[in-house]
Amino acid sequence: MNTPAANILIIDDDRELTAMLEEFLAPDHIELSARHSGEDGLDALRDGSFDLLILDIMLPGMSGIDVLKQVRQTNDIPIVMLTARGDDVDRILGLEFGADDYLSKPFNPRELLARIKAILRRSRPAPDKRRRIAVGGIELDAASRGAVAGDRSISLTGTEFELLHCLAETPSEVVSKDDLSQRALGRRNLPYDRSIDTHISNLRRKLADAGVTNPSIQSRRGIGYFLAVDE
Amino acid sequence: MRSLLLRIFLSFWLIITITIVTAGALGFMYAERARTALENFEVSEAMLEASEALRDEGHEGLTDWLESLPDVTATVVYILDDQGTDLLERRIPLPIQMAMRRFGGQRPDGPPARGNLRPARPFTQLIGPDDRVYTVFVLPPQNAVGRWLAERGRMTLAILALIVSASVSYLLARAISRPVRRLRESAVAIADGNLDTRVADRIRRRDEIGLLAEDFDRMAAELERAWQRQTELSRNVSHELRSPLARLRVALELARRKAGELDEFAKIDRETERLDELIGQILEYSRLDAGPHEERVDVDLDELVRSVAEDVRYEYSRDGDEAALEIRSDVPASVSAYPGALRSAVENILRNAMHHGGPDGSVKAELRREEDVAVLTVNDQGGGVADDELDSIFEPFYRASAGRSETSSGTGLGLAIAARAVAMHGGSVSARSAADGLSVEVRLPISG
Repeated sequence: MNTPAANILIIDDDRELTAMLEEFLAPDHIELSARHSGEDGLDALRDGSFDLLILDIMLPGMSGIDVLKQVRQTNDIPIVMLTARGDDVDRILGLEFGADDYLSKPFNPRELLARIKAILRRSRPAPDKRRRIAVGGIELDAASRGAVAGDRSISLTGTEFELLHCLAETPSEVVSKDDLSQRALGRRNLPYDRSIDTHISNLRRKLADAGVTNPSIQSRRGIGYFLAVDE
Repeated sequence: MRSLLLRIFLSFWLIITITIVTAGALGFMYAERARTALENFEVSEAMLEASEALRDEGHEGLTDWLESLPDVTATVVYILDDQGTDLLERRIPLPIQMAMRRFGGQRPDGPPARGNLRPARPFTQLIGPDDRVYTVFVLPPQNAVGRWLAERGRMTLAILALIVSASVSYLLARAISRPVRRLRESAVAIADGNLDTRVADRIRRRDEIGLLAEDFDRMAAELERAWQRQTELSRNVSHELRSPLARLRVALELARRKAGELDEFAKIDRETERLDELIGQILEYSRLDAGPHEERVDVDLDELVRSVAEDVRYEYSRDGDEAALEIRSDVPASVSAYPGALRSAVENILRNAMHHGGPDGSVKAELRREEDVAVLTVNDQGGGVADDELDSIFEPFYRASAGRSETSSGTGLGLAIAARAVAMHGGSVSARSAADGLSVEVRLPISG
């Protein structure tokens, strides 16, 4: 088993589902802790250390979006949210508030496992990756997974860092949405999926907020994105 | 004022009454003063003087006498010769012109003395030694306004009257039209999906329009509540139906692990997914039914169709074989639309065509512009539908009786969703049989 033991927190009010998921994930050395309300989930997240958070957006009481907002204020843990199929509003809102990826509920548990593995693999940087990349006015550090603009550090989620890193490796070259999705989310870019576009728009906003105008992320319609750098 | 009816009624009644009374009173007053002035003149020394001057010195004497009369502040006397010209060649005032038109050319019988006056006429006449007739008009003394009028002319008065009456009319009209306009703006906002729009605070009146605004707000509040209930119900249904499905899928994977792969497992998997899609479609259909729930924006139709086509092509591509979906676009057309609903319409029509297009069938979509309408035509080669069923395929869960239904495994809601979404934009969807397939046409009004 090439995935080392991982600790995952799931916040979902469906106790039967979380119990079965626990059983399903156990053979892959993934330990799943379940909480059934937003408040309990936030407490657990404060007390324990987890590698990944699976968050149901349709929670009774405190909504999943509110939980997401609170978590993102202090924590850059990777987050996979569970949304209802067809509920684009929740999905886009969730990605905008910093969720890394989403799965439509009811999901195929094997798909969930694949997403978990992809994100866990990503958060452990491969040794051959260039450790530091400087493009235009920003510098990316693969070891700390951080971005710095001058003396200001830019707070990025794992997915955002991965996207920026991927674009920065080949400045001015267009990277397809499919490749970006593979690298940042560990999966193909699905039809009707706006995840990459939403992450890119978050990334653009964060760069703009940090006053970075060079490099800038440009889109090539229908193909993908590239990093434009003024030397 | 509490009642709009009363307000309009009183305004018009008051204006008309004031106009009639003022006109009548002025006319009467003028006539009365003119008569008095004439009578006074006739019995006065002045009349005798004039008569003597005419008798003794003829035309020139009368002219001299007229010239010697005091200034305009007193009674004004006009004497017209038999040509109708004032002896002093002054401009002849309107009342005198009118009197001349009525009585002009009449010659009095007998001597022009006091006893021979004809009271009905607003003038008196003198006959000179050479038998010429002189008509004497006496106008009442003019006050300050009259003098001003005589000096500045009637044009000023007319302009003043226009300005005053226009302002009064404008104020009245505005008092009615402004709240109506605000009501209309609010109605448009609600139609565009802003259900939290309220209008009573912007109108603040206690008449019929104010009451209408309050009723409007009640309606809007009820609409908003209904919409919220609907959204909540959708969410609950979605949650309650999907939770068992989610458990089912995990249980299925666990069973797979324990029992190994069975054909039935794959079937259960497929059916679960189908059920999930059906739930999604039903929710979407009912959401569209409840009206728009997003803001209307300008959407580039060409870009939308191409982007949806890309997704659909991707969905229907198998094993590296790109699905045959061809897009032809004439001119870029921008439509004012609810982006999610419009996207859903295009997506469902394209997917329906791909679904029925058959394994090697190709789908052609064409976007063109006909004046103020954007037309999207989607042709497939899926065998078509009988002519008498062409309208029915846009009804929910309608299954065409022949041909197409055999390969069908769709939810039966795709085209119904598309039709709803297009209708929401004031457009129309229709279908007709094309060469060995179906042609679906969407017509959307273009903004601006």
